[in-house]
Order: sequence, then structure tokens, then C-alpha cells
Amino acid sequence: MNETTNNGPRFYFSLLRCIAMLRGGDARRSESNATEAWLVGLMIYLIHYLFFATQLIPSQITPWLSALLLVAAAFWVWLFWLLLLYINSVIIKLLQLCGLLRAIPIRRIQSILWGIVTTAMACSFLQNSGWVRELGAIWLVAVGMNLISAAVLAFSNAARSPGK
Amino acid sequence: MTTSPTWLRRFAVRGVFWRQYLDWATLNIPYYLYPVFHFFMTLFFFFFAAPARRLVLGHLTIILPGSSRAMNYLRVFRTFHNYSWTISEAAIHKLNKEEFAYEIIGADWLDQLGAAQGAIVLTAHMGNYDLGAALFAEKFHREIRLVRAPEPDRQTAEHLSASLEKSGEGAVKVDYNTAGALLSFDLLNALRLGEIVSIQGDRIDDDLAEIRAHLFGREVRLPNGPFVLAQVSRAPIYPLFIARSGYRSYQIIVREPIAVLRTGRDREHDMSEAVEKWGLVLEQLIAERWDQWFAFAPGFLAHERNH
Repeated sequence: MNETTNNGPRFYFSLLRCIAMLRGGDARRSESNATEAWLVGLMIYLIHYLFFATQLIPSQITPWLSALLLVAAAFWVWLFWLLLLYINSVIIKLLQLCGLLRAIPIRRIQSILWGIVTTAMACSFLQNSGWVRELGAIWLVAVGMNLISAAVLAFSNAARSPGK
Repeated sequence: MTTSPTWLRRFAVRGVFWRQYLDWATLNIPYYLYPVFHFFMTLFFFFFAAPARRLVLGHLTIILPGSSRAMNYLRVFRTFHNYSWTISEAAIHKLNKEEFAYEIIGADWLDQLGAAQGAIVLTAHMGNYDLGAALFAEKFHREIRLVRAPEPDRQTAEHLSASLEKSGEGAVKVDYNTAGALLSFDLLNALRLGEIVSIQGDRIDDDLAEIRAHLFGREVRLPNGPFVLAQVSRAPIYPLFIARSGYRSYQIIVREPIAVLRTGRDREHDMSEAVEKWGLVLEQLIAERWDQWFAFAPGFLAHERNH
């Protein structure tokens, strides 16, 4: 625990850390940014929700039934998340048994797996039309920029030392 | 009366399953998924923890007189949501050792407490008292003895004790507040040896010694243990609360120490002044932070008669 001091915001994702570095801020990874957590968490939830809503809810049903299924889908996504968390943990265990990724905290490996699943769902949105397609495209661009930022941070020392 | 089998009791609202699941989830959930998970877990417990929901609703009608029932249901949800964040952040501190920010309100009194030779920390079921104990031990490099109300489930109690002791890295020792004189003598001895004892002073179980106090215009029963201990050991009482102030950020609120007089004439009268002061502090804190008062079991103010 640290007594509160205002050193500017810190971020988890490479893209935001890279932007912070370019602005002279602190590029070290942090898991304490509420805005970032809400923004990314809700974005992932929206992508998963839309994925299941478009895949599972038929378009030829009454509006009432459609509304009911849309509400049910919100809870279904939560149950899916619980299941996904468990399946990922099994995959991580298997990977670690094979001697892989042992030095990385489990939640970070989970983060990579969640990123892969969400990106796969966002890719499927590209076959849709309208704003769902745009949302998928935004996600894919954000993932691409995040990967480039990760490479930039890996080649700089900023991620290891505090900003000016 | 029928009792559910042991395997089923694990899944009760206060069963050990949920505590173990929380630990597992803390190691597994990426940090940015917490807001969504917390929302749904809160919703789940809002429906399934009906006795706790009713108790909090009852408290809110007393704390916020004139408030509407519908609004109070939303406030109960908010209280549950805060609780969900609070216990998960305690687990994050214990297992992931992530950074937390805090600010101190009443820093001089906290320094006094840190340097005190024998003191009682009187707190409430508010905010993150588990995290607070660990923080205190870490900041002042001192041992602290935490007295808690007993858990209804033995396995949950064992899990909580182990968690607290791990979180405090050996500097936090947990005792359970059950009837019997043995613990009182043990705590008195600890105070005389200069240790710090932390007790929750807002709830009483039926089999514990009580003292009358006033909260929100009602006569309530509070545990008299902390006041008797303070009187006998001459240790000061420090009201201390750990309130959540934002994402992984806390406030440590310390109020003016309360001395329990020992004039030798009337013990009860000497104690009642201290109880009255504690009642005022508690009432003010609960009124300000009703959404962090985690009074989920019987024994809090809703179960007392009107004054």
C-alpha cells in the first residue's frame, strides 16, 4: 500500500502506456486505473453480448420474445464468462505442465486468452453490416495498435523506469 | 429443525465455497474484467442473500428516515456492490500484492496509536477492516490482534483467519469473540504487554456481555468488552475505520481517542461516558457511509426497540 501521491495516471494496456510515455508520463504497467478497467471491461462485454445476440437470437420472432431473449443473453454472457475463466485456467495448467509460461502471473495469461477469444468474436462482426461491423473493426484496430505499442515499449526502457 | 448436509453448507451464502472461489478468481481474473464480474456477482447475491438484504433494508430505513422503499432497494444493491469490491480487493492485496492507495484522516491520532504501549482499536463492520489491519501492521511494524464475531460456518472461519494472517504477513492474529472469560484475560494480558487489540464495536451476539447505547434515536445493545478492557487496562480506545474511496483506494479514518475513566465510584457510570462518545462517532460514520456498513447479520441496530 502506498500513501496517496499524484504521479499522473498509469495504465495496463501497452497502447495507453505508450501514449503516456510519449507525453512524458509513467509507462510502467499498473492495475489501478478504474477508467481503463471500466472502458475495456465494458467493451469486451459488449462484443461478447453482441456475438451471442447475433448468433443465437433469430430475427423472425415477436418483439416481446426478442426483448426477453436479449435480457436473457445478458446473463448468459456472464455464465459464459465463468465457464471461459475455468476453461482458460485448465489450458493454463496444461501449458504450465509442459513448462510454458511459468514465470507469468495466471491473470496475465488469462488476459492473453481473453484477448484471443474476443478478437475472434470481433472478426466475425466483419461479416455483419452497420455499427456492429464498425465495432468489430474498432476492436481489431485497437488490438493491432496495442501489439505495435507493446513492441515499442519492449525496445524502450520507459516501461521499466518511472516517467519524468 | 433440519440441518443441511455438510457438502451443501459449503455453498450457502456464508459458506466457504464462495471464499475459496474468490481466491481462485483473484488469481485468474484480468483486472479490467472486475467491474462486470462485480456487477453480476452483486446481482446474484442480491437475490440469493435474502436475509442480509432484508437486514440492510431495515437498517437503511433507520439511518435515512423518510427514504422510499424502492430507493432503499437500490441502496442495498449499492451496499452489496461495495462489499463485493471490498472483499475482492482484500483478496487482491493478499494474493496478488497489487498496489493500493490510501489517505489518512486523523494522521496525528494514527501516529499516536502506532506508538502506543497497549491500545484498543474500536472499529465497525465497515469498509475493509481486514485490509486495514494488514496495512497497520505493515506501516508501523507492529503486531495486532483482531477480535472478530464468529462465523456461522467453521470452514469459513478457518479460511478467513488464514487469509487475515497471510495478508498481515504474520503480524495479524485473529481471535473469535465467543462467550467465556478466557479470551478477555488473554486480551487484557496482551494490552498490559503493550500490544494493540482491534475489536468490532457495532454488533453483539446474544451470549455476549452488553451495554446500552443510543444510535439514530434508538436504544441499542453494544458489546461492553472493549470498554471493560479499556477501563481495567487503562488503555485508550482509538475509533478507526477503513473506508473505500475509489478503485483500489482507501481512507483510514481515525477519530479522537476515548479514555474510559476509572474513578472508583461507579464503574458503569464511568463506562457510559465512553460508550456515549463511541455511539456518536459510530452514528456519524454510519450516516456518512451507510453504503459501506456491512451489517449483514442479526445483532445490529435494526434488532433493538425504539427509544
